[in-house]
Amino acid sequence: MQQRSSRNWTVLILPGLLICIAGMAACIPGATVGAAAAGPDSLTGIWVPNAAPQQLVTVDGSLPPLNEAAAKVYAERRRLRENGDTSFDQTTWCAGPGMPRILTMPYPFEIRRDGDFLAFIHGWYRWHRVVDLAGGAVDPPLPLTMGFPVGHWESDTLVIRTVGLIDATVLDAAGMPHSEQMTLTERLRVLDDGRLEDRLRVEDPDTFTKAWESVLYFHRDSAARVTDDVCPDRIADGKPAVLGTRSPAASPLQKDAPDGVPSNTAAPAPRLSGMWEPKTFGFMVPEAPLSKAGRDMVDRGAAAMRDGKIMHTAWTSCRPGAISTMTMPREKILLLQSPEELTILFEMPRMIRRVRMNSTHPNNLESSYVGDSVGHWDGNTLVVDTLGFNGYAELDARGQPTSPRLHTVERMTPAADGSSLDIEVTITDPEYYDRPFTIKRSWKRSAARHPFEYDCMENPRAEDFENAYYVRDRYRPTCMRVEGEGLALSKVVCRR
Amino acid sequence: MAIAAAVLTLGTALAHHSTAEFDYAKEVTIKGIVKEVQWTNPHSFIQLLVDGQPGEKIQWSVEIGSPTLNINLGWRKDSVKPGDGVTMNLAPARNGKPYGTLRVLTFADGKQLNGVAAQVRGSAAPPSGGKK
Repeated sequence: MQQRSSRNWTVLILPGLLICIAGMAACIPGATVGAAAAGPDSLTGIWVPNAAPQQLVTVDGSLPPLNEAAAKVYAERRRLRENGDTSFDQTTWCAGPGMPRILTMPYPFEIRRDGDFLAFIHGWYRWHRVVDLAGGAVDPPLPLTMGFPVGHWESDTLVIRTVGLIDATVLDAAGMPHSEQMTLTERLRVLDDGRLEDRLRVEDPDTFTKAWESVLYFHRDSAARVTDDVCPDRIADGKPAVLGTRSPAASPLQKDAPDGVPSNTAAPAPRLSGMWEPKTFGFMVPEAPLSKAGRDMVDRGAAAMRDGKIMHTAWTSCRPGAISTMTMPREKILLLQSPEELTILFEMPRMIRRVRMNSTHPNNLESSYVGDSVGHWDGNTLVVDTLGFNGYAELDARGQPTSPRLHTVERMTPAADGSSLDIEVTITDPEYYDRPFTIKRSWKRSAARHPFEYDCMENPRAEDFENAYYVRDRYRPTCMRVEGEGLALSKVVCRR
Repeated sequence: MAIAAAVLTLGTALAHHSTAEFDYAKEVTIKGIVKEVQWTNPHSFIQLLVDGQPGEKIQWSVEIGSPTLNINLGWRKDSVKPGDGVTMNLAPARNGKPYGTLRVLTFADGKQLNGVAAQVRGSAAPPSGGKK
């Protein structure tokens, strides 16, 4: 319940219900308070939820005006949830949370803007949403988890209107339903006390008797980081898909990574910003000089396939690493560029890569799926050096392996007219390859304003895992859809 | 543009698929009532209840494609609804279970929708690749 009674708010926790009545950012440990800054970048930076409400309420603290049918659904889901059954909520098996649900999860997010793209980079399982600030018309070809957000500025307030939201998601952790007719309008602004306010308006005549509004607050926290969160690994470790409390502030990797600094070269860097799409796509890397150890692994996979097994790689287990985005370009990517960082948002596989400019790798590098990337300009070419991979990634669908000794150097060169981008990747991994080798991939400018979306964990069918060969044990399924008997519907069940 | 998108998504879908799982050289036709539609990634499915022995219903799991692929094949999310009576021509699973990948779905009025396997009709198998 959120209840605005005056300028002073406080945080209360009642059984099953987190009430945010707080405006006092200072009451949040680690919070920083600053005066609001107007302008297109006033919202940028890392934000931490003041509260992670399990149930959304209206601005006056009431239950949203659900129609009769939706109220029955919501009541039943709350009953199930009280009994430990959250099978109505697909985040339980790591599928997409949707909007505004992801804003109510206890994870930080970062807002970055480059030109007329504004991105929310969320701390839960690599989700991001890209807001089109050019304000184009939207005609969703199919509904998506994050929908099709379009934004514009009204004075110091960013107004985001989102349509095309898939109805498989719930509005809050308690299971509030919505339809695909929903329009979500957000009004975001930084308040005088430094908090970020997101005032939500929900219009969905198929679910609610009238439009309603809610409000969420976030604060800055200098210790917070958005890390490469991989939900299936959390379930494999016996933890819930969504943590009940705020996620750890920072891993040693982020804490100790040197800050990127702007280049002091006289010439301005080429602009890589914007949406790109692959000129070609592929699933194989035929030129890889496999070592005996690498060849043995590939041969084992090929033999399993000949025996009729389905081969599972990191990609198919929804845990892909950055190397697969280098070798297997797929769907659109969005590049957000600043003097300090190049951020690359991938939709298939969903991933965020960050390249710290003119920086160095930290000494105590902690391994991860995406590694640690630093970049510098060599003339018109951006050189990206990446180390710190965790070895859970394959080069292609044949399962050509990688190890923690993997080292990549990407040379990204835009065409003189900016219409295309050639990326040459030199791969070194003495564990599985006899020598370094180089592959080339090409991208072209995309006119698209909204990225493709691929939610890998939506439907983990049991058939996919019944006769399977796993390149690594880690790729074994964490959740599977179990067929319903008779007229009972199917259900996704996760291992504990 | 639409053709390019269809080619792209077909390639994606095929590459996601194992050659091992379905026998593309065979055809099976089943008729029944739609129990459930899973419009999901990485693959969309229809659960179809088909008459078996007297008093028995056999539940078939039929992969139809994926949301992006099916949109390019002319489907909409509500093209098929629970309760619809349909006929499905499919490539069956090699393991003999009531499981397959859709070639063509036919409604009672004769209208048809293609599934991902329609585009590999007549071939023994799609190009090799890992599952998904």
